[in-house]
Amino acid sequence: MDYDPMVMDDAEALGPVVKISQADSVRVKYELSNADIAFANSLRRVMLGEIPTIAIDLVEVEENSSVLADEFIAHRLGLIPLNAEGVESLLYGRDCDCDGFCEHCSVKLTLHAKCTGDENMHVFARDLVPTGERVNHVLGTPVLSDAEGLGPLILKLRPGQEVKLECIARKGIAKEHAKWAPSAAIGFEYDPHNKLHHLDLWYESDAKAEWPPSEYAAWEEPPQEGEPFDYDAVPNRFYFNVESAGNLSPDTIVSEGIKVLQQKLAGLIHELADEGGDGANGEFNGPRSPEYGTGADGFGGYTTPFGNAGNQSSWGGAGGTTPYGTTPYGAGQGSWS
Amino acid sequence: MPRAKSKKEEPVEAESDVAMEEAPTSHQPEDEMVVDQDEDEDAGDVEDDKSDEEEEEEAQRVRLLPGSTPTAASFEFLNEGHTLGNALRYITMRNPDVEFCAYAIPHPSEAKMNVRIQTFEGTTAIQALEKGLRDLQELCNVVSEKFIGARDSFGASSP
Repeated sequence: MDYDPMVMDDAEALGPVVKISQADSVRVKYELSNADIAFANSLRRVMLGEIPTIAIDLVEVEENSSVLADEFIAHRLGLIPLNAEGVESLLYGRDCDCDGFCEHCSVKLTLHAKCTGDENMHVFARDLVPTGERVNHVLGTPVLSDAEGLGPLILKLRPGQEVKLECIARKGIAKEHAKWAPSAAIGFEYDPHNKLHHLDLWYESDAKAEWPPSEYAAWEEPPQEGEPFDYDAVPNRFYFNVESAGNLSPDTIVSEGIKVLQQKLAGLIHELADEGGDGANGEFNGPRSPEYGTGADGFGGYTTPFGNAGNQSSWGGAGGTTPYGTTPYGAGQGSWS
Repeated sequence: MPRAKSKKEEPVEAESDVAMEEAPTSHQPEDEMVVDQDEDEDAGDVEDDKSDEEEEEEAQRVRLLPGSTPTAASFEFLNEGHTLGNALRYITMRNPDVEFCAYAIPHPSEAKMNVRIQTFEGTTAIQALEKGLRDLQELCNVVSEKFIGARDSFGASSP
């Protein structure tokens, strides 16, 4: 409540504010203020699950005499972080015209290791070698962030054992499989003093004494003794801690997250524009079947108001024929398809 | 390998017959092909339209639910969830022309998200939805700029 009257006035003038408190190659900590929790949460969700990266998706095993099963190794390989710089110029496998995979939608990595000495041999991510054409010279290279530059340990070989395999790394998002996650973790916190009572803290005798204060507790005014609960208060300051797994830099994760959210919105606006001109308005006239949308995919005999704008819609290109007057999106419809 | 080759050399009708017989054991793409061929026989070029529209249908991510009126409409979004829903709900509610806005995910195992918008006279629910999307985009722009600005000034102050 203390910050509300003053800051909220500023809020209207300033709009959202971002303050960075720490930034390096592994993490970025920032505070987003004067934003709504709904937006902050969208940003968190999109950074967690919807930023495209690249990860090994297909493994062809030519030789595996190690103690680990092929699929076991394949799973480990999938989880190895690969550099995703420039992944936007890579196509999704499903969008590519090729049969299976090609250099436009994948990066090929090979791993060939044989233990020839008499000591056990360690095979690291470093031993994964990108081969063939690539979109750029870093995309798909394993991330080696440890001091020795070895990368994660994949497996160990006893003398005489050998693995030889070929991996296809593809573009994807973490919503499909966590191996495509760009972030190792995203910290998200607000209201460090729990003034809003969004948390119900468990305690033995005194919650305040038993729970350590958050690192952000000093940033916000602690509640006054005997302060009445403010029913109208809403969270206003959000503390993010975006930790990268090495495939994208932490600040790229944030900017990419916003970009993904924008692309999502742009796609919908686009579609609404298509629909707004000839579909959505027409729809209010006359009865519709409950399967309105699904019916449309049926048998191409009839034209649907939704269908391909500009194609063969009987509503024609005129946005002005709607009962609601000209929609701002009527005009452009012919060009999308 | 040679066997497969000899199959290809057979006349076209024969190939489709063979494929149909093998359908239960063959893998996915071939299976689909058989279905297509089947429909081809009934409805020549209509089939093309169908596959076209199926693709279009996949791209169709918003639809208006039945029972909607100009100022009170429910929209169904495919493949969207709380990420978009909550932020859109918030930003749409901020629009002074909007009387009511809410979102729901009716069932967690269906990738669908419903948004209900009711507006006051003078605007339509569709316009309010579009405005919501644009406002959210604007908000994204601002936050993106602010973040890049903050990052650059942070980098400048502590390299």
